[in-house]
Amino acid sequence: MAGVLAVFLLYTAVAGNSTPTLTPSQLGTHAGKLAIVGTVVGPAAGDSHSTHGLRFGLRDIDGKSQVVRVVYHGESPPPLFKVGRSVVVGGSYAHGRLTATSILTKCPSKYTATTSAS
Amino acid sequence: MYALVAGATAAVTNRRRLALSARNALFCCFGSTLVAAIVLAVALARHDFSFTYVAQHTNRTLSTPYTLSAFWGGQEGSLLLWLLVLTGYGALAVALNRKLLRDLTVWVVPVLAGIGTFFAFMLVAVASPFDTQTAPLDGAGLTPSLQNPYMVAHPPMLYLGYVGLSVPFAFAAGAMLSGRTDERWIVATRRWTLAAWAFLGFGQLLGAHWAYVEVGWGGYYAWDPVENAALMPWLAATAFLHSVMIQERKGMLKVWNMVLVALAFELSIFGTFLTRSGVVNSIHSFSKSPIGTWFLAFVVISTVFSLTLIMWRLPLLKARTKLESALSREAAFLYNNLLLVALCLTVLWGVLFPIVTQLFKGETRTIGRPYYDFFLRVFGLPLLLLMGIGPLIAWRKASVRALVKMLAWPITVSILCGVALVAVGAGSSRPGLIAYTFSSFVLATIVLELVRGARAVGSVFTLISRNRRRYGGYVVHAAIVLLAIGIAGSSAYGTNVQRRLTPGQSMTVAGYTLTLAQVRRTQVPNATETRAVFDVSGRWNGTLTSGDNQYIFPPEPSREVGIKTSWKRAEDLYVIADDVNVKTHVVFVQVLVKPLVNLIWIAGIVFLLGAGVALWPDAREQRRLVTRLAPARA
Repeated sequence: MAGVLAVFLLYTAVAGNSTPTLTPSQLGTHAGKLAIVGTVVGPAAGDSHSTHGLRFGLRDIDGKSQVVRVVYHGESPPPLFKVGRSVVVGGSYAHGRLTATSILTKCPSKYTATTSAS
Repeated sequence: MYALVAGATAAVTNRRRLALSARNALFCCFGSTLVAAIVLAVALARHDFSFTYVAQHTNRTLSTPYTLSAFWGGQEGSLLLWLLVLTGYGALAVALNRKLLRDLTVWVVPVLAGIGTFFAFMLVAVASPFDTQTAPLDGAGLTPSLQNPYMVAHPPMLYLGYVGLSVPFAFAAGAMLSGRTDERWIVATRRWTLAAWAFLGFGQLLGAHWAYVEVGWGGYYAWDPVENAALMPWLAATAFLHSVMIQERKGMLKVWNMVLVALAFELSIFGTFLTRSGVVNSIHSFSKSPIGTWFLAFVVISTVFSLTLIMWRLPLLKARTKLESALSREAAFLYNNLLLVALCLTVLWGVLFPIVTQLFKGETRTIGRPYYDFFLRVFGLPLLLLMGIGPLIAWRKASVRALVKMLAWPITVSILCGVALVAVGAGSSRPGLIAYTFSSFVLATIVLELVRGARAVGSVFTLISRNRRRYGGYVVHAAIVLLAIGIAGSSAYGTNVQRRLTPGQSMTVAGYTLTLAQVRRTQVPNATETRAVFDVSGRWNGTLTSGDNQYIFPPEPSREVGIKTSWKRAEDLYVIADDVNVKTHVVFVQVLVKPLVNLIWIAGIVFLLGAGVALWPDAREQRRLVTRLAPARA
């Protein structure tokens, strides 16, 4: 079993498939491929299928950080995407802007306390 | 609490009357939890919004089935359901085994009571569904996408599975505490484990089908931590169900079985910690609930308890026999177990990876789908192959020659199948081709076994009724093969095309031509429905609609996909209309053609059927059981 576990570690370390998942306040000097967890702040404008993309901001879920600007291109964001919603946005970060290629919104799980679902 | 303390005292001091009192206390736990559950169900049915829980999870417009399903719609109600099932299962398991396994059940009672005490404490002190407030005029309601029949059945199925794993765990702990580490605890809990495992497996498929038809992203499993939380104990329980057969027959793998039953139980609790604590980002929840810490503490305590017991009883857990050959049925079961546990640990590592990187690198890193898909192929494909070899290989020691002779027909069938698949173009995906070829091999071995057996006894029905456990297992194997074919077909050979359309424009995908006929917006009592209507021609002629609903109360959107299932061609045409613009009439449309995806849902029914056959009471087995346990009783 220890050998199997070692293979996991090696694979995940060598293949480099892991992505840093950060909050806006943790971004600091990070750059490149990463994901940001935060709350969507408006205005959310544009269209993800257009050249200019869908533009919005992200702030720490507790609301105590600078806003990171996001430009998202690709499939339409999930139906639950809207200002105020907690999301995980993946893409490439450079010069204070995230060029995003994926958005995950919270699934309306029955297991979630109502306070966080609102 | 009384059942725990009195039961433990009675077991240590060997006081029979006190043990009886503890057992009765366990029955009373079930009775009192049932009363509490009825109170909550009545409050839900009567829309009694003075209960905070009822107000938070229902409203007056919700239909009765969904109102009642809000029982497990929130955290507090889920905990009550957990305790209800736990005490119900526990009381029944103890009642059924009280005479046959008296020395063991004396210890099982305090273990079950210990687990129950934890959940009762959580309900009373941390997350009570009975908190009251000044009743508002109406409640918050239920998210529209959860108002789906699959979501009514999916959570309780998972709970029946999760909680069911407590019974074999309690009997295993009871066996170690009492020093009766023979096979009796396994025989006594086989059906409990099987039922829990079947509920857990079927519950996951219900959830996958809900995601497919309701969430509308075209998939059914996203390797999300919350989904993995249910998969991990199921994998551990699958390994356990296989390895106990070796212990029953050969007296081997005793320590391994104890580890597996503890692992399955701990993972079921750990899954709850994962989903509640907010320590990992999941698409299902970002909330941080106070119960997560309590669950983590419970996992740590119960893991230490289990490991201590196993270490203490190691001398009693020595194998009666040894593995004679690496080419034998025992060895095949062992390989199967190693692969299942490796897959389980792979998933666990993937789930824990963000926590580990946060702890050691100060930065959360997540690993995605490629990691899981890679290891699913690495461990899953050999598992599939073993499913065909295992049932046919000889016990103790087999020769390569005899094995090849035995497997000649299945090998021939699978080679022919592989060649035919390459000829029709299935070679475009190597993992898909391997999965199909291995699946044909397993199906051929199952058919071969059924034909051989039926020839010997006269008919397939007689054959199955004479050994329900074995042939029920074969039916479950057939279900897993269907699942493998469905997953391989829909993921390796699917088509996905995206395009922007205006009315009159068309797109052709895998032989289907979709023409956007119109865009419309309709107001219905509680929602605004926006739809794109497509005329479909080519491989199927008809109309499909897709779009979204914007609900008024609660103010939530839901995506509405268009799905056309063709049983004849064994595929789904799946249409997602995004950005349906009613002003410009421009629609961004994504069309997926998913071959064989419906085999996944059929696999669920076959799986349930197989588990049902294996679970069905068997008079012959009962007689064998009584004979086997008689010396121990005397």
